[in-house]
Amino acid sequence: MAAVAARSPRGRNPIVAEDRRAGWVFVLPAMVIFGVFIFGAVLFAFYISLHDYKLLQKGGVWQIFVHPGRTWIGIDNYRDIFNSGDFWIAFRNTSWYALGVVPAQTITGLVLAVLANRKIRGKTFFRTAFYFPSISSSVVISVIFLWMYSARGPINYALIQLGFPTPRPVWLANPRGVIAMALEKVGIDSVSVWLEGPSVALLSIMMLNVWTTTGTMMVIFLAGLQNVPGDVYEAAALDGASRFRMFRDITVPLLKPVTAFVITIGLIGTFQVFDQIWVMSEGGPAKKTTTLAYLVYLEGFRQGRGLGYASAIAVILFLIILLLYLIQRRITEEETTR
Amino acid sequence: MNDELLARRISTRARVLAPPAGLALALAGQGVRRAGAQDQPTVRLTGWTSSDAENKLFAQIVQDAQTATNVKIDYQPIPSDYPTKLQTDIAAGSVADVFYLDSMPAPDFMSNDTLLALDSYMSEAGVKAEDFYPGLIAAFQYGGKTYGLPKDWSSLAMVYDKTALTDAGIANAPANWDELKAAGQALRDKTGEPRINIPPDFARYLAFHYAGGASVISEDGSQITLDSPEAEAALTFYYGLYKDGIATTPADAGAGWPGDAFAKDFADIVFEGNWMFPFLEDNAPDIQFGVAEMPAGPAGKATLAFTVSFSIYANTKVSDAAWNVTNYLTGPEGMEKWTSLGLAMPARPALADAWLAKFPEREAFLKTGEYAKPWQLGVGGQAFFNDANAELQNLFAGGQDVKTTLQNMAKAAQNRIQLQPK
Repeated sequence: MAAVAARSPRGRNPIVAEDRRAGWVFVLPAMVIFGVFIFGAVLFAFYISLHDYKLLQKGGVWQIFVHPGRTWIGIDNYRDIFNSGDFWIAFRNTSWYALGVVPAQTITGLVLAVLANRKIRGKTFFRTAFYFPSISSSVVISVIFLWMYSARGPINYALIQLGFPTPRPVWLANPRGVIAMALEKVGIDSVSVWLEGPSVALLSIMMLNVWTTTGTMMVIFLAGLQNVPGDVYEAAALDGASRFRMFRDITVPLLKPVTAFVITIGLIGTFQVFDQIWVMSEGGPAKKTTTLAYLVYLEGFRQGRGLGYASAIAVILFLIILLLYLIQRRITEEETTR
Repeated sequence: MNDELLARRISTRARVLAPPAGLALALAGQGVRRAGAQDQPTVRLTGWTSSDAENKLFAQIVQDAQTATNVKIDYQPIPSDYPTKLQTDIAAGSVADVFYLDSMPAPDFMSNDTLLALDSYMSEAGVKAEDFYPGLIAAFQYGGKTYGLPKDWSSLAMVYDKTALTDAGIANAPANWDELKAAGQALRDKTGEPRINIPPDFARYLAFHYAGGASVISEDGSQITLDSPEAEAALTFYYGLYKDGIATTPADAGAGWPGDAFAKDFADIVFEGNWMFPFLEDNAPDIQFGVAEMPAGPAGKATLAFTVSFSIYANTKVSDAAWNVTNYLTGPEGMEKWTSLGLAMPARPALADAWLAKFPEREAFLKTGEYAKPWQLGVGGQAFFNDANAELQNLFAGGQDVKTTLQNMAKAAQNRIQLQPK
């Protein structure tokens, strides 16, 4: 071929080499953007987490590169974080959040996907309707829920119409833990802060989050369901298996890799929750909706201990998510090799 | 096939080359624009706005300032999360030349060389610190230098529904804590629900704290004095109004803030600022309301003065023009025009009489100038404010008692506020 005949004395085809160069030039913008704004930002966050750096630093941010010795404090930020009450409050809030939201959105998403996968009328309508909250702006949804949860909002109105007694519950202003409240009813008054459960305010935001993310999970499960071969169901039907048996013994096991994926992105999403909190509760009441991501914002941008300290929390948050991912992957691998 | 490859090479090269050429053109355009702007300096000005009406009114004042100072002003308000935006802009060096600065976080900015010291400009222009209320200008002084001139101010007073109080048989607005409690009881007995609205918010409670004779920081600035017997009495009174069902909170009433509860007729007595006038005019024009000074506590009358300055960025390239704009907006002419719109009170005592003649019904707010304490607690005050609110919210939810709340608040103050002994 002509192109092969045109090889240069060094054995390289100049046209291919040029194409390769062109290829690099084409991916360069994406690589630069990724390198600077994602990879660079991550490294920078880790670097300043070892410094006493505030946004309003004397002389600006370049000081910590020009004179790193002046602001270098080693692991002091990390030590202070583990000694501060706020970190553990935020850690508890975030853990309850993930513990409640991830199972709820996974199970609801799976059930909705199975239902929406059946040959029923208006299937497309239901799929769209369930998916709609996921693609709407989370700020808009949060503002709507803020109104729905208000003391004289539609939720309390519905409760009163259904015969529940007044006084109206103030959903987003109640910092009491739901487990502690339930235990109080049966006569147990004092309970460890770790077992108080999510506050009523946090639970309200959790319910909103389940409602918005279930649609995404449903779509992922729906995609997974397309890969489940239909003849397995046919064989099971011939053997006289009930619908529930088929769901339990065919659908759920065959969807295991998909479920693992859904749980992983669910955990990552819940540990990073920020926008709903920012709009609806600003971390209150009594810090009971302050999540780790919101604590990063408070300490970094609201005249708190500074961006260095906030970055250290972000690094810890990253390690927590990484650890959860590794544990989850280990479990799934064991399941598949068994 | 060779031709095909050649065609690809050319088009590849053309595409690779095209963006830089376009970029060069764009840069050239920028250069031309920048050169043209050098003749007349442009001062970038930013602030926050609480309403469209305020935005429109302020844009009008900016026009006047432009004419008076012969400086082109580029006014770009920040609609939300102002403190965050301001700080990141300062860190990036891209902040506006002149900007609003709230008194509470001001020390954090002043202590870090991010603002231009105005003293030399002031003496050159003949502007004296004594031209302003001492408490207001002091909020923007740090280490013997002045870093901002107060734009205006507002204080807390008691806003009450005249009709509701008359209906409940209360002849005069309550003037002290006992009368306030009695009025609250009378209103509750009349209507069957709490009609005083108080939030678990340190920016309201602090006025009662001061009226009770308590303090946050000692006179000499050397220690935190937040937890004291006086403080316990003050917080017991404030929280007691809520606990005894005489008062309620905005959240319980189904409102965003006490003024909102008042406008929606969920409350008859609230403790708010001068901003209630434009707010009620827009949202509840039919309510007949009066304004009285804050009810006096065991230590007499007390209230908070909220003020905002115009400050200049330390590294501004147009410092002279920025000063001219600041001086106009805080000067007698600009301040008179701005405050005559009725959103806030003049920070210059010399303008007080003319303002009062225009707004006689707001006398109770202006009177507080004699004793109002500035809303400021030193470097770290803003961070402490966030913590203090969380403690008050926990108290109001029944999560802890008054004593523990004060102890926790004192601990938060120790952690957050940088004491500066005098």
